Amino acid sequence: MTKLEARNIVKYFQHDDYKLKALGGVNLKIQEGDFVCIVGPSGCGKSTFLRIAAGLEKPEEGDILFDGKPVTNTGPERIMVFQEGALFPWLKVVDNVEFGLKIAGIPPDERSQISQRYLEMMQLTRFANSYTYQLSTGMKQRVAIARALVMDPDVLLMDEPFAALDAQTRELLLVELQIVWQKTKKTIVFVTHNVAEAVVLGTKVVVFTNRPAVVKKEVSIDFPRPRLVEDQKLVPQQQKILAELKPEVKKRMESE
Amino acid sequence: MSKHFTAKKIIFYVAIIAVWQTVADANFWPNEIFPSPWEVIQDLGYGAADGSLFYGIGTSMLRLIVGLAIAIAGGITLGIFMARMETVNQTIGSLVLGLQSIPSIAWVPLALIWFGVSDAGIIFVTAIGAIFAVTINTYTGVKNIDPHYIEAAQNMGAKGSKLITLVLIPAAFPYMISGFKQGWAFAWRGVIGAEILFSFLGLGFLLNVGRQTIDVSQVIAVMIVIMGIGILIDGLVFKRLENKVMSRWGLR
Repeated sequence: MTKLEARNIVKYFQHDDYKLKALGGVNLKIQEGDFVCIVGPSGCGKSTFLRIAAGLEKPEEGDILFDGKPVTNTGPERIMVFQEGALFPWLKVVDNVEFGLKIAGIPPDERSQISQRYLEMMQLTRFANSYTYQLSTGMKQRVAIARALVMDPDVLLMDEPFAALDAQTRELLLVELQIVWQKTKKTIVFVTHNVAEAVVLGTKVVVFTNRPAVVKKEVSIDFPRPRLVEDQKLVPQQQKILAELKPEVKKRMESE
Repeated sequence: MSKHFTAKKIIFYVAIIAVWQTVADANFWPNEIFPSPWEVIQDLGYGAADGSLFYGIGTSMLRLIVGLAIAIAGGITLGIFMARMETVNQTIGSLVLGLQSIPSIAWVPLALIWFGVSDAGIIFVTAIGAIFAVTINTYTGVKNIDPHYIEAAQNMGAKGSKLITLVLIPAAFPYMISGFKQGWAFAWRGVIGAEILFSFLGLGFLLNVGRQTIDVSQVIAVMIVIMGIGILIDGLVFKRLENKVMSRWGLR
């Protein structure tokens, strides 16, 4: 079943004195339970595409359909995980995780039962009463993922959530996210500039062109999980995607 | 380190009192115009003994608390509306900047005409002297919120009053504390100033009585009380609040 469908999405970046066409008619179908990774040259609008899917921005043309209905606003069925986590520094970890439940008016007992489950899943139980400044970057992203999962969304929209992590932490989280995906069967759209990351995570990798971006190629990745970054059998797929991506990055460099 | 610091402080204040006593003993001026520290302390004692000092403190503090509470509630509301609605900012916002430049004492004539010689008049002066500092700091605080906080909250369903109370206010709180501190300082000046001009109970009134009876030691005694309360509230209320919030955010 198609969960998200982008139909001819066009989006401009508005600068002070000029407009830049970022998305030039993106068409993409994402099936329920897919783990789709979007790669593309920097500044091609892949994060903007994700923000449109979240309902945080509106396209100039085209629609994103969620379960067949056009997205017009943000909704708890499509939860965004931001690059920097966007955790609330005035709340403890547990209160960050329970935030959405509190907004939804769920009573405290029930809230803590639900949050307990996801704190355990993300191995955060020990840090439940910490404030966010006391956490490492990797821990913060764990909290951000737990906070999103608590909402029980249909779709997780992840905007380069591991970009700021060191290599070891990233590898750990790459495995954990695969396990979370297998356990929860969520549809995930994951934007990254890192091809190895995309191939490890995705059931499908989507390559965006340089801007104005369109979908250049969709590559299915069909290997058993959990996959590791150093898996040799993933190398041919990586190279295939890099071959698509490199000319786009080159175009991007030349256009500067 | 801190012991050393305290020792320095004590030496400093003892030195001031010693110089004061020496000058008073030298009799450059008549005793009624330049009293000795001991006379001031005696006057504090009289004021405490007949209760007039405590009654003055209580009256002024009550006016301060009510006025400041109004200023904080109103300032937060106004600041949030200014930050979130461009029209409000362009209209009321420009007026707020102008109004903030009016010293609270300048509101006294208007307060006297509108409210007469009453608690309400003094509270009006106190509140209006403090409200714009709270407004402007709240506005700045809300404007400086990381937009991702707001987006994340809206994504999780927060809107309207829940967005304001659970996200905007706590996220802007470090700035708002600066507003409270400024607001409290303005409010305290406003209360005392208004009490002097209204000449209607409170510490400002006691200053006035001291002037009318040419009792300089009473004037100085009340001034010391005003300063003491200032130091106490700053340290006990606002420094504590600030430290708590800053350490929670990891800003110190």
